[in-house]
Amino acid sequence: MAFVDLIYGRLLLVTGKGGTGKSSVAAAFGRLAAAQGRKTLVVEIDAQNPAMKAIYGIEPGYEPKEVAPNLYVANLHWLTNLGDWVGRVLTGGRVVRLVLNNALVQAFLEVAPGNRETVALSKIGWLVEEFDLVVVDLAASGHAIAMLEVPNTMVGLFPSGPIRKEGEKALELLGDPQTHLVLVGLPEDMVVNETIETFEKIRHSVPDLAIDAVLLNRSSVPSLTEDEQSLLAALSSENNTPEAEELLWSGRWEAELETSTEAAEKRLHQRLDTRVIRIPRLSHEGGPQQLVHQIAAAMARSTQSKEEL
Amino acid sequence: MPSIAQLVESKKLLVCVGSGGVGKTTMAASIGLWAARRGRKVLVLTIDPARRLANSLGLESIGNVESQIDIGDGDGELWAMMLDTKTTFDQLIERSAPDQETRDGILANRIYQTLSAHFSGSQEYMAGEALYDIVVSDRYELVVLDTPPAKNALDFLEASARLAKFLDPRILKIFLTPYEERRFFGRFLMGTSALVFRLLGLVFGKEFLDDFSGFLRHFEPMYEGFKERHEAVVALLQSDDTAFLTVCAPNEPSMEVARFFNEELARRKLNKGATIVNQVLPCGGEALDPNALLGESASQLQSDFLPGTAARLLARLGSSHRRLRQHAHIERKLIDNIRSMMHHDHELLVEVPRLEGEVHDLSSLQRASQMLFRSDMSDMENM
Repeated sequence: MAFVDLIYGRLLLVTGKGGTGKSSVAAAFGRLAAAQGRKTLVVEIDAQNPAMKAIYGIEPGYEPKEVAPNLYVANLHWLTNLGDWVGRVLTGGRVVRLVLNNALVQAFLEVAPGNRETVALSKIGWLVEEFDLVVVDLAASGHAIAMLEVPNTMVGLFPSGPIRKEGEKALELLGDPQTHLVLVGLPEDMVVNETIETFEKIRHSVPDLAIDAVLLNRSSVPSLTEDEQSLLAALSSENNTPEAEELLWSGRWEAELETSTEAAEKRLHQRLDTRVIRIPRLSHEGGPQQLVHQIAAAMARSTQSKEEL
Repeated sequence: MPSIAQLVESKKLLVCVGSGGVGKTTMAASIGLWAARRGRKVLVLTIDPARRLANSLGLESIGNVESQIDIGDGDGELWAMMLDTKTTFDQLIERSAPDQETRDGILANRIYQTLSAHFSGSQEYMAGEALYDIVVSDRYELVVLDTPPAKNALDFLEASARLAKFLDPRILKIFLTPYEERRFFGRFLMGTSALVFRLLGLVFGKEFLDDFSGFLRHFEPMYEGFKERHEAVVALLQSDDTAFLTVCAPNEPSMEVARFFNEELARRKLNKGATIVNQVLPCGGEALDPNALLGESASQLQSDFLPGTAARLLARLGSSHRRLRQHAHIERKLIDNIRSMMHHDHELLVEVPRLEGEVHDLSSLQRASQMLFRSDMSDMENM
């Protein structure tokens, strides 16, 4: 399957280290899918400060809101989600009312560990039924891993009852061939380390979930020759004026971005059996929505990098 | 308004918050190094689920124990520790269990094992616990805490409160009533509890609730201790000896998160120390002519390289610098924006320039540290 064909799946999970631009990438996938006429939802899970608000200028709510033709956004506010969940998994209106109106039961449901994740994954399963494609802008990698581990834990911990059933359904959803996960990284050593670590942890704890690509965001294409790099280094001198040093700094800055892109790509290929897709460094100048458009265009153009298996 | 150096000197606990990828861990380690070089005994503690502190200190790994970092000369000491949730949890149980039986009962319990290792909230909760232990032990003059990134940093502030809520006596009462008694008296004597238990059974399944009651029974002797510690952690974070540092990078999403954190800190009446804008591109803003500034030196060196190298490089430097100016211009607008807001509230903002290369050893950390404290450089000749 070509990289851009991920938009023809049913569920696309996006995560990565914080600050890598995963929300912009999630929004870009949404844009590409919607442009193909697929009814698409980009959803965040209980985000206190939703990224889609900065991108689309509206506060995403629990109910999906249309922000462009075929494109919807939502934020799964936890307590609303819990109320919805209880209503759906328990049968009988009276029981549901009792559960929802009982302060102690409510308090317990709110604080029981793993409950937030279970409830969110159930909801995502229901949303997949309503949309052609659901793109989930997951939390940053550490917490995304914790979330993806929850269904397994729940199935191990609960011999019976709705939580177990929902855990089993979530495992099925994560293992579905139409479900894909992409990791967003940057061409920086520490980010690459964390990307590899995240990949391995997810592969280990949710082996059925397909990790389809690592997106190397803010990549630079190598363009300086070896001679140019050596001359650049040779020009640096303590006798230079501050202006000359600033010029050289700008050159070294771009050279560093180029070499780190190459190094990052190489390490990712060595360590992970997945494709690596470059997204170029793009200007933030036009604002967040413009950036999403540019990332979407870059993803549509992207071909897999040459070392791909 | 104190300078960043005065702030570091006057506090006992500094908590770094901010989105991921902004160099929060590097800033925490830089502060630690600076204070240690000034003769203080410092611990840098990270609870970031991704383990980057070791990287920035040039180490392979740091475990769940406090390890000393060799900083060369001086009377101060720099220590570092990375929190391993499960180990910390186990140690806590071992310390606070009243007897061997309770201790073994808990450590062997399936629910405990899952809770301590697998749930996201437990990490933040244990951070509070570990922090509290370290601060009250008075082993350090300064503790610098590096928190997990962005969306979950608030969990760190809330995890204790959530656990305290979980340990609400009314909830405990339901679970701690022996099962037989609950069934026998059922609706007569404990109507509310029985109803609650039945309703929870509908959601969680009866077997689990029985397991869970067993787990809580083991825990019972330790409840009071947990609650007291929760209150102590909150008091510690609100104390005058504590300040929060919001770290961000000069881009829109990161600044947005920083604004959000600053509002949340104010709302919670937590002590805002400073906002640190890290990774600022060094650029004077003026257009520069590569031929005028570097043409002569480049043509002198040209003979060592392929023909045309100097001319191509100079042209490239012109375009690199144009791009640098563009980026720097956008950054400047964002920083000015946040600066004017903060100036209005009399808060401290510190800019730290982007360094070349990554911080992965003590000497690069030293450079980062000098950049962070450069406004205080005049009184730190000894660095």
